[in-house]
Amino acid sequence: MLWLALYFPQLPLEVFTRGRQQAGAMAIVEPAGGRDQVSRCNGAARACGIRPGMALPAALALHAELVPYPRDRDRELQALHELALWAYQFSPRITFEPSLLLLEVGASQRLFGGLAPLLQTVQREAMQVGYSLQHALAPTPTAAGLLARQCPGRRVSDRGELDAVIRPLPLAGLTRDRDVRNLARHIGCETIGELLDLPRPELTRRTGPALSLLLDRLLGMAPDPRPEWQPPRHFGQTIELLGEICHTTALVFPARRLMVALCGFLRGHGGGAQRLQWQLSHADLPPTSFGLGLLDPSRDPDHMLEVFRERIERVSLPAPVRAITLQVDDWLSFEERSDGLFNRADDSDRALLERLSNRLGGQHVRGLRCLADHRPERAWCLCTPDESGAAPSSSRHAAGQPPWLLAQPRPLPVLDDVPQYGGALRLEDLPQRIEAGWWDGFDITRDYFIAHSRAGERLWVFRDRRAGGWYLHGLFV
Amino acid sequence: MPAAAGQGGVCAAMQVLSLEQLKREGALWQGRRPQVAADRHLPSGWSVLDEVLGGGWPRDALTEIISESHHGLPLLLPLLARLSLASRWLAWIAPPHVPYAPALVARGIHVERLLLVRDVSAEQCLWAAEQALKSGGCGVVLAWPQQLQAAQLRRLQLAAERGDCPGVLFRPPRAARQASPAALRLRVRPAPLGLEVEALKRRGGWAGGHCIVPLPVVADPV
Repeated sequence: MLWLALYFPQLPLEVFTRGRQQAGAMAIVEPAGGRDQVSRCNGAARACGIRPGMALPAALALHAELVPYPRDRDRELQALHELALWAYQFSPRITFEPSLLLLEVGASQRLFGGLAPLLQTVQREAMQVGYSLQHALAPTPTAAGLLARQCPGRRVSDRGELDAVIRPLPLAGLTRDRDVRNLARHIGCETIGELLDLPRPELTRRTGPALSLLLDRLLGMAPDPRPEWQPPRHFGQTIELLGEICHTTALVFPARRLMVALCGFLRGHGGGAQRLQWQLSHADLPPTSFGLGLLDPSRDPDHMLEVFRERIERVSLPAPVRAITLQVDDWLSFEERSDGLFNRADDSDRALLERLSNRLGGQHVRGLRCLADHRPERAWCLCTPDESGAAPSSSRHAAGQPPWLLAQPRPLPVLDDVPQYGGALRLEDLPQRIEAGWWDGFDITRDYFIAHSRAGERLWVFRDRRAGGWYLHGLFV
Repeated sequence: MPAAAGQGGVCAAMQVLSLEQLKREGALWQGRRPQVAADRHLPSGWSVLDEVLGGGWPRDALTEIISESHHGLPLLLPLLARLSLASRWLAWIAPPHVPYAPALVARGIHVERLLLVRDVSAEQCLWAAEQALKSGGCGVVLAWPQQLQAAQLRRLQLAAERGDCPGVLFRPPRAARQASPAALRLRVRPAPLGLEVEALKRRGGWAGGHCIVPLPVVADPV
């Protein structure tokens, strides 16, 4: 067993800032000793000289525009669950500790081609999802968590080495139990090693069995069962935008974070999403919703982003946006064909179709299909492009018909029984008679002629045999 | 003596070879012949028209067809029929009328390859044309734009080169006065038995070529 611990040291801060590319100075403020104290602050605040541990008034004195946020533990927990959704692609066994995820990667490292590529992917994607990360590897979950907090980057794969690595670590990182920490201080224990050197029965008698069990679990001497996290079947995530966004282009950044998280979720489930449901929340108005359709199920965030960019341009915002939500209720499992072949717009014709439909709207980007009908108005229909319906092979009568059809037959003036179109039309002999449709209410009885205009154009005109008028219906040139 | 003559012959052969090569690559400009190499053209289906076009429709460039009222589509139908055998789109952007599917099928075009962009603004029409041209996903792009600035034409021409895709713009007569980066500009007029085609501009060749393309009323069975 090999546990990968992912510790998110800035989680309290990043749940607020991840929606923005650049944020002003801000700090997380927690009560400590009866006053408000800065516990974490972002780069902008740090640049003004604000440091964790400062009293809030002191920090405000340094930078009056500092935005203090109270710590929101519910939101952190929710963020951790969202991160687990994303991390599910790396391991099916995930458990939680505060601000920390534990993944069993012993079994899955081979899938990623070893530990190094796996860790690289984890780190890159965590950054894209919007969280900074410290990691560590150890054979027991407790040790992995401890190392991720205390000496990030440490990798211990053998249980024999664990003891030597753990011993010099300060005791404070191991437990938050105040009694244990006080006791250890009083008997002069600073490090975990010193605690381990104490006679175990005496230690257990004074502290209770919990600490002893913790030490055993740390070194893998006692089993460490952990509740396994079960991923939900649906994906839904919201990013609050720290202030309001008025321009749709500024939504691309948080949207990308959501799409990277989604793609992690999809990879974990071996699926691809075809329809992404977006919701933009406003302060007073009902939220703006829109769907993002993909032609093929995908889990490539770059591809999704490209399509998103086209779509978001068509969205008009009734009010500034406060939060952005991505929801995917149904996804399709697909056989892994390799990411490159499946997702990249390798077949550029699909990519073009997607791009056009998302920017212009599906009703403006259509395909064409023949229908088995003799009436010109009913012999074709618009359809989804590339709809592979049973296209009836055109019968021979269509060979004498024009490539252009007018959307509506245009009535022609008649002079001395001859239809006029920039002068009298010369009709060719042998009209084509089309009589059909008594069964569905669109009943026509027409004689279609090929006609020549004065200008030399060749036209397709018909005489309505019932009402008697002449109409222009198609063009040959 | 025979040895020397033999050597001379070898030299001449090498020279001929390299000259032919230059011609093939389109690197050599010859007065009446098209400068562009043959594989950069798509045969139109009519030999008379191919002669005026200088070998066929330019493969990775813009063609402008200038006429009174959107004439000229029939000239492209054989090309469309051939291109529709491949899996790429035949894009029709902002066509003025409905492409009549049964008649297109009767002329050998697989209509399921058609991609129609309809009812869009002038700006969207240009955007779609540019995207289609440069995507590499289209066999040909036909567009009926409203008005075009020189800069927009240039963008489309660059897109056509980038996507290695022929682009055909159908334009009104006043466009003939505008300078254009298109590789080929044709003026088309209806004639009693077909369409009269006049080359206003031809890249790497002389303008002024002229022919009448016969269009039978009944399409040839394909």
